[in-house]
Amino acid sequence: MNFSYNWLRELVPTLSTEPSDLLRLMTLKTAECEGLEPVGEHFATTVAARVLTVEPISPGSHNRKATIDAGSLGLRTVVCGASNCRPGIVTAYAPPGTKFDKTDISRRIIEGVESDGMLCSAAELGINKDHEGIVELDAVPGTPLPALAPDHIIEVDNKSLTHRPDLWGHYGMAREVAAITACPLRDPVNPALVPTDPPAIKIANEDFTRCPRYSALVIDNVKIEDSPLWLQYRLQAVGLNPISNVVDITNYVMAELGQPMHAFDADKLDGDTIFVRNANDNERMTALNGESYHLTPAALVIADSAGPIALAGVIGGNDSAIGPSTTRIVFESANFHAANVRRTSMRLKLRTDASMRFEKSQDPANTTRGLARAVALLRRICPGIRIVGGLADLAAPPKDTPAIRLEMPWLIRKLGRDITAAEVRSILEALSFGVTESGPGVFTVTVPSWRATKDISIKDDLVEEIGRMIGYATITPVAPATPTVPPHDNPRRKAHRALRALVAAQGFDEVYNYSFLSEETAAHFGFAPEAHLKVLNPISSDQSLMRLSLIPGLWKNIQDNARHYDQFRLFEIGYEIHRKEGSLPDEVSHLAAAVYQKTKEQGPFFEAKRLAECILPGCELKPAEARAFEHPSRTADILWWGQRAGRIFEFHPNYVEGRAVLVDVNLGVVESLGAADKRYKPIRRFPSSAFDLSVVTLQRTLTGDIEKLLRQHAGPQLEALDFLRQYEGAPLAEGQKSVSFRLTIAAQDRTLSSEEVAAVRDNIISGMRSLGFDLRV
Amino acid sequence: MLESQLESLSRDAQARIAAALTPDALEAVRVEVLGRKGALAEISRGMGKLPPDEKKVIGKLLNEAKTQLEAALEARQNSFAAAALSARLDAEWLDVTLPAPGVRPGSLHPLTQIQQELEDLFTSMGAAVLDGPEVETEYNNFDALNIPADHPARDMQDTFWLEDNYVLRTHTSPVQVRGMAKLGPELLEHGTPLLMIAPGRVFRNEEVDPSHEHTFYQLEGMMVDKNVSIAHMLFFMKTLLTHIFKREVTVRLRPGYFPFVEPGFELDIQCLICGGPGCPVCKQSGWVELLPCGLVNPNVLRMGGLDPEVYGGFAFGLGLTRLVMMRYAIDDIRHLQGGDLRFLRQF
Ligand SMILES: [Zn+2]
Repeated sequence: MNFSYNWLRELVPTLSTEPSDLLRLMTLKTAECEGLEPVGEHFATTVAARVLTVEPISPGSHNRKATIDAGSLGLRTVVCGASNCRPGIVTAYAPPGTKFDKTDISRRIIEGVESDGMLCSAAELGINKDHEGIVELDAVPGTPLPALAPDHIIEVDNKSLTHRPDLWGHYGMAREVAAITACPLRDPVNPALVPTDPPAIKIANEDFTRCPRYSALVIDNVKIEDSPLWLQYRLQAVGLNPISNVVDITNYVMAELGQPMHAFDADKLDGDTIFVRNANDNERMTALNGESYHLTPAALVIADSAGPIALAGVIGGNDSAIGPSTTRIVFESANFHAANVRRTSMRLKLRTDASMRFEKSQDPANTTRGLARAVALLRRICPGIRIVGGLADLAAPPKDTPAIRLEMPWLIRKLGRDITAAEVRSILEALSFGVTESGPGVFTVTVPSWRATKDISIKDDLVEEIGRMIGYATITPVAPATPTVPPHDNPRRKAHRALRALVAAQGFDEVYNYSFLSEETAAHFGFAPEAHLKVLNPISSDQSLMRLSLIPGLWKNIQDNARHYDQFRLFEIGYEIHRKEGSLPDEVSHLAAAVYQKTKEQGPFFEAKRLAECILPGCELKPAEARAFEHPSRTADILWWGQRAGRIFEFHPNYVEGRAVLVDVNLGVVESLGAADKRYKPIRRFPSSAFDLSVVTLQRTLTGDIEKLLRQHAGPQLEALDFLRQYEGAPLAEGQKSVSFRLTIAAQDRTLSSEEVAAVRDNIISGMRSLGFDLRV
Repeated sequence: MLESQLESLSRDAQARIAAALTPDALEAVRVEVLGRKGALAEISRGMGKLPPDEKKVIGKLLNEAKTQLEAALEARQNSFAAAALSARLDAEWLDVTLPAPGVRPGSLHPLTQIQQELEDLFTSMGAAVLDGPEVETEYNNFDALNIPADHPARDMQDTFWLEDNYVLRTHTSPVQVRGMAKLGPELLEHGTPLLMIAPGRVFRNEEVDPSHEHTFYQLEGMMVDKNVSIAHMLFFMKTLLTHIFKREVTVRLRPGYFPFVEPGFELDIQCLICGGPGCPVCKQSGWVELLPCGLVNPNVLRMGGLDPEVYGGFAFGLGLTRLVMMRYAIDDIRHLQGGDLRFLRQF
């Protein structure tokens, strides 16, 4: 929202605060001001001048030499290219030294003629967008341009006005400025201008929820023409395009009072009644922007007996629009339900100055004020008008605005500083609250209608009103009471932190990947797209699914980084999102880590396995059936305490060039298993005996299985079983391997005799042989 | 006669010990002189024929000679050993500047680092660290925080909508309500203030460019107690920011609108670059907008199961992503989730 400093000063006539200081005060006490732009600086030096003579400079050039009478500035010669530059007209003359937004005017030679300044178009003056010709004025040569002066535009962040319907017009902001600077506020509205005669138009409102109030007034003898320059300049300066006098007045009222208005051509309306009703199914309306909209009963329309003439609170219809031949108009000034306007404007993707205001919950009391102001403005610029009949006004009974009970001790506790009852009263009254003291230190506060629609309803809202006006800088920081018990523990976060440290210490760099996945990537990995939770409004199609696995993310990291590095290690801790019928999805935390090597040699499988063992001490690998992206001979489930806690696999060569091994651990399972209960065992006091055994078997027999069998046959006296080596080749037969272990045997209570040791060994050997293994000693 | 023989033997042996160039040569001298069949043993054997008083004199001389020679021998042996050791040590020269084998330690993501640092800071102040889901119900993300459907405040947070009316949380604020429900009864009823934070990933439906991301990190903070004032919030925020920035910071509050707090504030810090007079970083204002905060709206307290007539609180939201970018002067937000090791290994 843009605010004109001059406009504010018109409403706060004694305001003497400089624009930059005002901006700071408004930021600290009301809303965030984002910038201050000077506009119309050229009006400081530009004067009216009469064109005396015009003569051509050279054949073929549209530029001509004009002599002008600039009053006290004397006669001047300027070069002008405008076709309407002719003797007798009074126009705007910018002498050398005049400052414009882009350039400063200087004396210069144009096509051999010295031009002593410039004659200006309305666009050059920032009045409207008209570049065709120079402005034609009714003014005395040598005097400043009438009602056109340098101004400053204060830009306020719309987000900080979300809760303040009243600040969507200058008058509302002027009220704040008046309260901040302790200057009086001038109300521009004279309600007496709206006659109370029987109305000339009927209103039929079928939904008082969606339209709490509809006010209208018929005016005749209107002459549609351009607005005076001061009015155009004012609209242009705050970012509204001047169109024609009647339309400009509706916009002016909106920018001043925050009340959106609309004007219909009364002669284009069918019947004598304005209907406020829900749209019919499949009803269509062509709007002022030329678009045709398809409506449903969800939208509220303004209609005549032939059909919709406006989308309530959003935009007017084309068929009833004001045109050059319009002479009789209906001014609409209504109040519409915020949520409904917002829904309609969102559904039609049509946000207008009106809808932006209505969706903030405008004040129904403002409709007739808007009409009164519009009548005053129209009288001023179009003096021949005639008001036909009186105000048509149909309103729901005003909502009760319960008074707020404000107790001084409570207020002081919330602020954290002292304040007197007198100060509280004067602040609230400056902001137009009604204040009565209903007991010692207790106020009953009534809320002005323009703050009561949504903004202020509870005493906490008043803390803000008082706090911002006394200035938050006047509050001295005070230490709060602090907790005296240790904070609630979060074991998962602790575990994740320890894991991160552990994995990073093993050489892995941490990455953060997005939670999104494309359907294409899901398909590439063989994940069914319908298994994923879908994003209904993704930014782009490659982010339309919620990830079910961290693997695709790491896979992409591998592809990207393989361009720069021959080997690397990566990990991520993040959530898998699993959809779940009838409740929020399961967010399962996973740790995924990858080791990449450009080499085609053995590859880093065992490095990855070592990481898995660091994370899950004592885990076992169980070969598993591979998914599409997994190497069919290098894929295993990771079992921990007998439960599937993760997966380890080398990427299928179709997926990664070089070798990449990935460990994916389900931290949810790990968390549920918890830590092992550890218990001390006495240190053995008697010596142990050790012997080596080699088991000869088929190449693809799992070493883990052999180990298990050896343990079974060794019995309780087995102290340790250590893998020594494995061997393939002569003298073993093709397809065979020999796996060697060192077994340590001991007893807790004595030294075992050599016979006892030999018995254990023989038991193992005979046991293994009976299972078909060949044993070498 | 034996006396002079002993003397010349001793002198001769001393000379040979000194002249021995190798441990082997030295050993030969030892065997020849001090061995069981060596020269001294022979003299000792010849002593048997001497009269007792003479025997006594020679015996003493003999022992002296033996002791001296053994000492000389040992000294010489030691010097050989010392030379051998120093030769070995010299041969064992290492180029200590060679790179160490094995894997160089990895790195933690800068967001992890700052998050852990802040968790530690808050924990030391007595705060519980809570988690909330990244996929939320529309109700928890908006309605419970006083942002009903069709409220224009929903525009402030462009939202990713999922199936079943779920949303990707647009802020960490839903954890406020979850936190009050979870910890409120346990703490407040025993007169202990509730202090909690909730760091985590949040989402906004925004096009990505160097300064905008659809995925970023926030840290929600909240304190609830019987008498919580703006003055308390100011103290807390000032202390917090002084520790985060590791220097004294000046803060100011100005009105800001967030439906889940009332009053709501934007908290600015005095520009750390120029210190106030104005510079390009602070757009000449001397202040940098840092975080939104405010007193907890009574409706939100109610949603958390607390009676706003009894309890009050303050809440704030710290942008972790922004903090990381400020700390390391990162100029492109996309690096943080780009997975590029050339970036990640810098931290
Ligand atoms: Zn600065």
